[in-house]
Amino acid sequence: MLDLAIFGQHLLNGVLIGCAYALIAIGLTMIFGVMNIANFAHGEFYMMGGFLAFYLISLLKVNYFLALPLAVLLVMVLALVIQQTVFKRLREAPMMTTTLVTIGLSILLEQVAHLLWGPQPQVIPNPFPTKPLSFFGIYTTPLYLFSMAVTAALILLGHVLIQRTRMGKAMRATFQNKEAAALVGVRIDRIYMYAFTFGAALAAAAGAVLGGFIPVEPTMGGVATLKAFVVVILGGMGSFVGAIVGGLLLGLAEGLGAGYFSTGWKDAIGFFAVILLLLFRPEGLFKRA
Amino acid sequence: MQLKLSVAVIALAVAGTAAAQETVKIGVVQPLTGPVAYDGNIYTNTVRMLVDDMNAKGGVLGKKIELVVEDGACNPAQSVNAAEKLVTRDKVVALLGAFCSTSTAAMMEVARKHKIPHITGISTAAQLTEQNNPYFFRAVATTPMLGAAFGGELPAAVKGKRFAFLVINDDWGRTMVSSYPKAIERAGGSIVGTEFFQSSELQFLSHITKLKATNPDAIILAANTQHAVALSKQIRELGVTAPLVGEGSWTSDSYIKLAGPAAEGVYGLVEYVYTIKNPINAAFVKMSRDKLKENPTKFAGAAHNGIHIMVDAIRRAGAADPEKIRAALTKTNYNGLVGNIRFNEKNQAYGQDVYLALVKNGVPEVVKVARIAKP
Repeated sequence: MLDLAIFGQHLLNGVLIGCAYALIAIGLTMIFGVMNIANFAHGEFYMMGGFLAFYLISLLKVNYFLALPLAVLLVMVLALVIQQTVFKRLREAPMMTTTLVTIGLSILLEQVAHLLWGPQPQVIPNPFPTKPLSFFGIYTTPLYLFSMAVTAALILLGHVLIQRTRMGKAMRATFQNKEAAALVGVRIDRIYMYAFTFGAALAAAAGAVLGGFIPVEPTMGGVATLKAFVVVILGGMGSFVGAIVGGLLLGLAEGLGAGYFSTGWKDAIGFFAVILLLLFRPEGLFKRA
Repeated sequence: MQLKLSVAVIALAVAGTAAAQETVKIGVVQPLTGPVAYDGNIYTNTVRMLVDDMNAKGGVLGKKIELVVEDGACNPAQSVNAAEKLVTRDKVVALLGAFCSTSTAAMMEVARKHKIPHITGISTAAQLTEQNNPYFFRAVATTPMLGAAFGGELPAAVKGKRFAFLVINDDWGRTMVSSYPKAIERAGGSIVGTEFFQSSELQFLSHITKLKATNPDAIILAANTQHAVALSKQIRELGVTAPLVGEGSWTSDSYIKLAGPAAEGVYGLVEYVYTIKNPINAAFVKMSRDKLKENPTKFAGAAHNGIHIMVDAIRRAGAADPEKIRAALTKTNYNGLVGNIRFNEKNQAYGQDVYLALVKNGVPEVVKVARIAKP
């Protein structure tokens, strides 16, 4: 018998996690699409967002709603520094070089977090009541709803930014053809800078928001990076809409797959889908924007 | 220049051997990085604190004890390398450690190869003491032993019959799932669901929702701090109110602080909890609070047992000789933190107390004590 409340719960879990996957993956796909960099340090921006939010709130006693954007801003500064000092110099380097650099960067950031904050997992304190809310037997908490709302809003914001603004237009032009974009006056360096810092900001926002119920610890970035790659490959490398749909799909597939098949296979579901997709539709579900 | 350098090298080498003669070297392999780094650091810091204290009181055999610590990262290959380095380069006469059972399983073969006595106080996978390895000793009850001691008490303790497992997918969690049900069923309970999670996961919404559908009276868990925090918070957030019974870090200060209200009413099945009443523990808790600024956890308790049993054996052996220490270890009759510990013919500890503790107002209170029978 299919219990509707339980089904609804699996669905809600899937959407919540899917939104987070999408948010992290958008940044990754943006950096890949614009800069042609497979950023293996992307999960570390997610981790940094969580840790900085935690430290702002619990040590510096910054208000929760102020600390979240502040943490994101700090990660943007970090990303800006990394972009200007490292990737700017590697603009014409082959992808293998930049990939190796991002792997090194991910190890570096993880170890820095270890040294700065120690291995202890932290839960970001938040002002929401912990008592769960129940709708027709489906449970959630104000924090879960807030996380879902923030991630959804940021996804929408990213979408508007890419589709409706001048900067987004310039980004899309760079996606399609770097040389042609440069010829019509798009400042490629600046677009790279925007893509990298904005991509990092989205991952950091996910870390700061989810850190209220998923403990923050230095090694959490690795899994996040892998999941984000699954999403990006599912959605099509460099496709913005693909990252959103891919994120939600992966979240739902994991939620329902774990719920009605086996939790042991949860992490395998995404990678299995990726292998199938690469075999039969290597361009991803969506073509590049 | 070259002459100066070689003089310096010789001087260093001489200083090295001189130091080796003056100290008794004990090697420690613990995960200082990686997924269980937090608990591994607690073990290591506690051993350091206790050795400082022993040295202040004169050390052992008139010599100072020197700890050499290496990071095993809960990774079998790295733990083996660490143990090899400790034995061949640092010339330790005894080994403590590896945290995760898989790492300990790998490390104990290094101990066997080089004939160095080795104690683990944490790894509970049953097969470790079934390897006929005369150099390996386990100073902690295994999961089946804990299950045998407490499984039958659970239905009465939580006033329920339907139990569900939500455990880490490794030998620890798997052993739990295979060893607890017998005692639980004998006491009138039943198992209604079993879910495993991966150590890389911190988000368990699917697992919890699935178990919720089985409507359990209590959930039995195997998890250390970072998983325990996420599990208990998320379980409560999805509206599951059944009591939680956990093996692992469920009674530690850090867990209770991080999990907040979600820790209230959690039962911990533990080998050590800082609220037990005996003079050795009182001194230990005081020292930990003074030096490490926290109440000792079960990993600190494991460190206390491990280093004391080893140093006690070195003292009885009368020499810092691995073979003599091993022989002394087999005759261990140590009265310590959690009662009397001896080793059976497979070098498995028995005779000590284990505890069922309930977290109330942020403090784990012992609600039941059981003694580990000779296996």
